[in-house]
Amino acid sequence: MKKLNVLKSAIIAVLLGVVCFAFTAAPERITVKGSDTLVILAQKWAEVYMKTNTGVSIQVTGGGSGVGISALINGATDIANASRKMKNTEKDKLKARYNTLGVEVACAKDGITIYLNAASKVKELSIAQLGKIFRGEITNWKEVGGDDQSIKLYGRENSSGTYVFFQENVVQGDYASSCQTLPGTAAVVNAVKKDTYGIGYGGAAYAEGIAICKVKKDDNSPAFAATAETIKTGQYPITRYLYMYLRNRPAGEMKKYIDWILSAEGQKLVVDMGYFPVK
Amino acid sequence: MKKLKNLFLVLITLLALNVRAQDQTQAEKLSEVNDKVNGLLERVATDEADLQKLAKIKVSGYIQAQYQNFETPTLLSKSQNYFSLRRVRVKFTYEAADGVKFVLQPDFAPGNLSLKDAYVVVNEHWKKTFSLWAGKFNRPNYEVEYSSSQRELTERSLVIRTLYPGERAIGAKLEYNPLTVPIHFQLAVLNGADGIAINNNAGVNINAADNIDYDNSKDIMARVTYNLPLGSFGGLDFGAHGYFGSLKSMATTTYSSDYSTVKTANIGDKIGKNWIGGEFQLFADVLGGLSVKGEYIAGKNASIGYASTTAIPLGVANFQNNFAGYYLYLIKNLGKKNQFAFRYDYYDPNTDISGKDIMNPSNVKGYAATANLAKKMSSKSDLATSTFGFAFHHYFDDNIRITACYEIVQNEKVGTTAGVSNYTENYTQNDGQVVLKGLDYSKVVPQNVFTLRVQAKF
Repeated sequence: MKKLNVLKSAIIAVLLGVVCFAFTAAPERITVKGSDTLVILAQKWAEVYMKTNTGVSIQVTGGGSGVGISALINGATDIANASRKMKNTEKDKLKARYNTLGVEVACAKDGITIYLNAASKVKELSIAQLGKIFRGEITNWKEVGGDDQSIKLYGRENSSGTYVFFQENVVQGDYASSCQTLPGTAAVVNAVKKDTYGIGYGGAAYAEGIAICKVKKDDNSPAFAATAETIKTGQYPITRYLYMYLRNRPAGEMKKYIDWILSAEGQKLVVDMGYFPVK
Repeated sequence: MKKLKNLFLVLITLLALNVRAQDQTQAEKLSEVNDKVNGLLERVATDEADLQKLAKIKVSGYIQAQYQNFETPTLLSKSQNYFSLRRVRVKFTYEAADGVKFVLQPDFAPGNLSLKDAYVVVNEHWKKTFSLWAGKFNRPNYEVEYSSSQRELTERSLVIRTLYPGERAIGAKLEYNPLTVPIHFQLAVLNGADGIAINNNAGVNINAADNIDYDNSKDIMARVTYNLPLGSFGGLDFGAHGYFGSLKSMATTTYSSDYSTVKTANIGDKIGKNWIGGEFQLFADVLGGLSVKGEYIAGKNASIGYASTTAIPLGVANFQNNFAGYYLYLIKNLGKKNQFAFRYDYYDPNTDISGKDIMNPSNVKGYAATANLAKKMSSKSDLATSTFGFAFHHYFDDNIRITACYEIVQNEKVGTTAGVSNYTENYTQNDGQVVLKGLDYSKVVPQNVFTLRVQAKF
């Protein structure tokens, strides 16, 4: 009986040892999924990186930060792009499934830009006014210095990190039910472009063909537009980091790719694409 | 010539009138189309509003179908191996407004239709740190709150299953989750008798319909955890929880844990049950992800007897047992698709009686060793149990997990020294034949279990 116990213990010890030292080699095919705000930058990174690293295949898709993080948790992607921080509930799921807390890499900065139609008379708004507009408490442009016309709200779906960040930092409550949700930042820009009395929000890199609204921290503060300078100095009040999340510490090709993104070459592309560098 | 000129003028006039009429028709058509578009936009807006309401309802769930083989020689009327549906759950979550959530989760397992969760959570709007729960929800404990669909071994540890039968309890809970400090605090007030059998002298469980409380006393449960980040290595979550409650006495006596004292009790007295536990979960980002989790709980539990209305049979005393139990997990991910888990768990329901003292007449300190009383003095229910569990999971895809699990269950052995009777039990074989003294608790009684489970989650 004693011998049997020793044998059992030895088998258990060997089994545990083998299991503990088992690991997986880093893939040479890297999948990236998530934030629509980041997708054009992520695609550019992949495109440029693959030109000089022909043995690596990088596939980039959008879908929203929530979709990307869910894909990371269920193993469908190697990197989740997110325009918001990972929530505690998402971290708990990652812990439960992979026994790690995930790795957060801040890869770019962004100022959430307020899009207005080019014909809009409104040039600047405070955070408080934006909150009231998107909560549906201010419904007419004349209340903020514009025409006597109803405000048309355009926003993102709730799987979007921009939706969550804007809600937590600007709306600070429920979005107005009249806010039309659109499947991507480009769609928001297009809607505002066509609607004289429209207003939307999204990444600075998408702001083409529309007017950019300056934003005031409060009624007594000066208004700033999202520029590299105002974001760097912290003057623009709706600034955020953009992140890449990984399940584990990167190794092999994945580490090389992440290091390259954070290098001067990778960060130059950040600026070229209309975002703002982390350093 | 003049006639021709007049005719030409008439034609021009008619043409102009016609063009004007056409313009008017086109303007009317345009207006009609415009009205239709506006109508459609209104309908789309209404549909979108309806859709947004529907989007507030989330439906999720999971099914666990399994094959199990039990090595125990007796399972009464059950077979020793069978297919079964362990869980058939659908969870409905409705976010009525920002910060207000309703949850309803029935379990449709065949022959066991039951309501597992039914609660409302209200988050305060100002600081967004407090939330109030009311209804039927998981008791605040790590293994209890860890979903069955995520758990690495097929069942919770024995100590948790014993202390928190059915996992859920009816009551109210306040949670505090500050945004800036990684601390998590839970304080619950519970009925306290959920899932506990309290038999009357006719052997009927008077607590079977546990929708209302069995007594007037409410139990308190508190848990606090802290998430300590360990840089790129991983993180350590640690904390403690405590249970402070009682059950109403239905008997006139209460045995102490070591059976050395018998206290007189009045029917309606509070029989205390209190325990505390410490827990940790270490997550290490080494070699693809590894975690070590553990919890130790010790204290005093209680079970309720009954007063007999006749001399024979005698009533059953209340019992307060000092217990201790713990579990330790080692979980390792093997790539993205596979996971290995090992758990050792130990539960001693009576730390004041060791195996060698079970059914030992010399352990009866000064009491009349009448047959009935002696039988109540100690039994196999005082024996400790240790379990080694091994599980291998394969994640077929996002929704499907296949699990193979083997649990080696070992009971504490009763004494075999001179003067001590071995503790044995009869059991009935599948063919109906009774095996006298077939279960000998001076040895390890076979109780190992193999489980092959398929889980589909949506």
